[in-house]
Amino acid sequence: MIDLLFSAVLLAGLYAMMAYGLGIIYGVLRIVNLGHGGMIMVGAYAAFWMHEQFGLDPYLAIVPIAIASFFLGVGMYKLLVKRLPRGAAGGVQSLLLLFAVWLILRNTAYLLFTGNDQTLRTSYSTNSFHVATAYVSWNRLAVFGVAIVVLVGLHLLLTRTYLGKAIRAVAQNPSSCTLVGIPVERVYSVTFGLGTGLAAAAGVLGATLFSFNPGYGSSELLKSFVVVVLGGLGSVPGTALAALILAFVEVFSIKIMPSYLTAAVGFVLLVLVLVLRPGGLFGQRVLG
Amino acid sequence: MSMPSWAPKPWVLFAFAGALVLLALVPLVNSDAYWHNLFTLTFLSITAALAWNWLGGLLGQVSFGHAAMVGVGGFVAARLQVSSHVPMLVAWGVGGVIAGLYALVWGHPTLRLRGPYFSIATIGVGEATRLICTYWSWLTGGSSGMSIPVHPALKFQLYWYGLGLAALALIASFALRRSPLGLSLLAIKSDVDAAGDVGVSSTRLQDLVLFLSGMTMGICGGFYGSFFSFIEPGDLFGFERSISYVLMGVIGGIGTIAGPALGAIVFIVLQQSLIAHYSQLYLGLYGLFLLLVILFEPLGLVGLALRVMKKPIEEQP
Amino acid sequence: MKNRTTLLMACALVSVSCNKSSAPKEGQGAAPSGSAASSQGASGDTISIGATLPMTGGESRVGGFYKEGYDLAFEEANAAGGLNVGGKKLKVELKLLDDTSTQATAVSLADRLVSSEKVQFLLGTYSSHLVEAQSVVAEQNHIPYVNGGGGAKEIYSKGYKWLFGLLAPVQLLSSALMEWIGSQQTAGHLPKQVKIAVLWENTAHGKDFREGVDDYVKKHQGCCEVVVDESFELQGKDFGALLNKVKASNVDVMLADAHLSDYITMQRQYVTLGLCHKVLSYGARGSEKQAADALGKEHIAYVLSSVWWNAQLGTAGMTKHFVDLFKEKHGGKVPEWYQAVSYETARALFQAIEKAGSTDREAVRNALASLDVESILPGGKLSFPAASGQQAIYPFVVQQNQPDGSSPIVWPKESASNPGVAPNPACK
Repeated sequence: MIDLLFSAVLLAGLYAMMAYGLGIIYGVLRIVNLGHGGMIMVGAYAAFWMHEQFGLDPYLAIVPIAIASFFLGVGMYKLLVKRLPRGAAGGVQSLLLLFAVWLILRNTAYLLFTGNDQTLRTSYSTNSFHVATAYVSWNRLAVFGVAIVVLVGLHLLLTRTYLGKAIRAVAQNPSSCTLVGIPVERVYSVTFGLGTGLAAAAGVLGATLFSFNPGYGSSELLKSFVVVVLGGLGSVPGTALAALILAFVEVFSIKIMPSYLTAAVGFVLLVLVLVLRPGGLFGQRVLG
Repeated sequence: MSMPSWAPKPWVLFAFAGALVLLALVPLVNSDAYWHNLFTLTFLSITAALAWNWLGGLLGQVSFGHAAMVGVGGFVAARLQVSSHVPMLVAWGVGGVIAGLYALVWGHPTLRLRGPYFSIATIGVGEATRLICTYWSWLTGGSSGMSIPVHPALKFQLYWYGLGLAALALIASFALRRSPLGLSLLAIKSDVDAAGDVGVSSTRLQDLVLFLSGMTMGICGGFYGSFFSFIEPGDLFGFERSISYVLMGVIGGIGTIAGPALGAIVFIVLQQSLIAHYSQLYLGLYGLFLLLVILFEPLGLVGLALRVMKKPIEEQP
Repeated sequence: MKNRTTLLMACALVSVSCNKSSAPKEGQGAAPSGSAASSQGASGDTISIGATLPMTGGESRVGGFYKEGYDLAFEEANAAGGLNVGGKKLKVELKLLDDTSTQATAVSLADRLVSSEKVQFLLGTYSSHLVEAQSVVAEQNHIPYVNGGGGAKEIYSKGYKWLFGLLAPVQLLSSALMEWIGSQQTAGHLPKQVKIAVLWENTAHGKDFREGVDDYVKKHQGCCEVVVDESFELQGKDFGALLNKVKASNVDVMLADAHLSDYITMQRQYVTLGLCHKVLSYGARGSEKQAADALGKEHIAYVLSSVWWNAQLGTAGMTKHFVDLFKEKHGGKVPEWYQAVSYETARALFQAIEKAGSTDREAVRNALASLDVESILPGGKLSFPAASGQQAIYPFVVQQNQPDGSSPIVWPKESASNPGVAPNPACK
């Protein structure tokens, strides 16, 4: 029981980290980034590659990978996303566009690294310590720690800095921002970069825990979506709470159902949340 | 009695019938089983892509989970044939109806969601259906799948069944688009609330289209089972299959009448020509196509063709 | 207007139905002409053999291994001047296509090989569901189909006439593990009654694995008790919850059936959760170099694996010949069961063609059905008994990883170089 409790909490950290990139892009640009899963995968492979090539520890690789992905995201925004209408009208178009980006990313990873499953092994991958009767993995704890640091950092960024205030203002009302002289386009591109960088960073963390292949990221994308819809857009505490809920439901469902079906729990939850609480637990509208 | 005013021009009808007759006669001159079977599979893809488009194009609701109905229809039909010896066509029909009903079960509530939310929900539906049906071995035989007894001549004959299905789907696409019903659908697509205000009952119409789309997918599933004599949930319910319908529909021309059929043909041709030696390229290439279509030619190949012929795009609002 | 349309539709329908009635004739017309070409030997002095393998997609790694086995067998046969068919030397040619691990492609490409490329025989692809789908094409076209990639018993239960399988049923895999456990119980190393957790991937392979354990438990009343019986999804990313359940159940033995990637992920979580069982196995996985690299050899010590073949069998005779040949070609790389089985698959077809003395499909099929030859497979014999639906039956070899990185054979007794260790001495 206490084992399950630890697993759930630690898993929630990763989920929150994965979801945040998706949430911030949606919250500000009103775009569902289907390329999110692809960027998680890119992060995982980047960490893998740097570890194989230079022996760089994945935790040290997080920062350079996140920065590089930030610029990749900005580029993607300026080159592709910017050309499409936003909001309800452009919703499906941007969805498909970013889906195309995902397909291309997957194929690129395939050509570079083959379709085989890869694992990133460090000297501490399998180390763990006791708490009461439970074993806690150092690695999982570290992932959790990084997730907390990033989320708190983000919260501060959004509430305490000029950039953060601009992002929040644009999210609420882009047209009046133009009036008061906030460079809306730049805020959009920075936000898209931020979301992309966060996705890649989450991918690095995921790579330290699980094996991955070019298809990695698809179930992560869906889980992120559950968290975003459940937790509200751009709200850091909401994201954290929603991630906890998802992780607990997933981990504890094995008590009442066959293990095989636990994989379906997240998907069912996604559909139920969309249908029953389309406003999310914190009340934003997703109806068109 | 006369044809309704929205019926196609006579030459279109002639061309359509002529193409049907020609295609029906192809096997007389072609004895290569590979090409024969490839044609059959293409007809099947055309049918499925058109049915996907009823939802994706006519209602503007892009589904990433249509494989769920293919799977449900396919396994119901297979189970009926194997366990109860129901005749093939009846089994397809029942499978289709159940798949259509299944589409209503999840689709009726989710169709209220617009745009991306609906799409995301369908991914969840597709994956959940795959996992649950794989576990539910009573229906699907579980992960090891199901075999339908092999009838040596049947696979050959399915060519004409497939041709018939594709023709029906094309006629249905035309009717759904051009009939008064189609106009109401267009109204819903542009603005649900406004359509409701002017007296278009959006829920019932959307449910009807959803049912038709799901049913056709289910029939395709039944067909697929009879064609391969062996079906397996991981393949029939797979996300890749759902993706392929999106790609066929969007690249061919989302919302156009025959675009998805064109998309299906191009998809199969490209897949077959790449697969033997460059199989790892084709998904990425499709991604690239999709990207170009979205950015430059939202009506896909059909839009491109119209532009080349310098024709106005009449159907578009 | 309306009348004209009706007329047109009627025309179309008539043409459709006419063709429908002529279809079987057409179908029958196509098949004999194909086999006529094949009995003449297509292009004279080469025999054309088709195969698809998953060179990309989920099973690509294994697909690559199978290709090595096929290539070696074809090179060897051609280096000897070809096959001796009715006093004439015929070279063999392999037409290999990539089925991308997907079923529709595997079937479509088999169609292409048979009807467009006019191959005379088919070799199989890898993994049960692809083999099962492809075997239908062979059956429809009356073409011998020899595969080394479909181990699920169900494939051979349909009475197919043209299908031959070299992978012994997976049930024997898990019962071999159970037999070794039984021997350890008799020797007093394990409790009189062991509690077992069975975790199986939800695939045909996994189902058969579980059935093998069940069969053994039923046959040996009181020997053991299955406490946890759970399936999991192939390529699962997180087995934490499942392993926690195993942990709570306090079993003595954990038997899992997994693909290599799932084995690595699961074993990594197993170690970090502090799990340790008296006996641990991942079915056919366990001794792979990739696993040792990904996990560290201290974390896979004492893991048991049960496989169709192992290079340690190659101490003499033709098995040694194969191992040496393979090592020579691949710069000292030691072959695994994948290459051995696929090599043997191609050779089984070659031997049947020579035995039939012709390339006539029917004759070769009959030669395969009555084949009984010396083989590199465990037990040293290969045949396709009608009783098992033309699936070869032979004993599995059980290996156990040792702390020094070696994996000696521990079962069956006659091939064992080490009795094996139980309970796991690393457990506290």
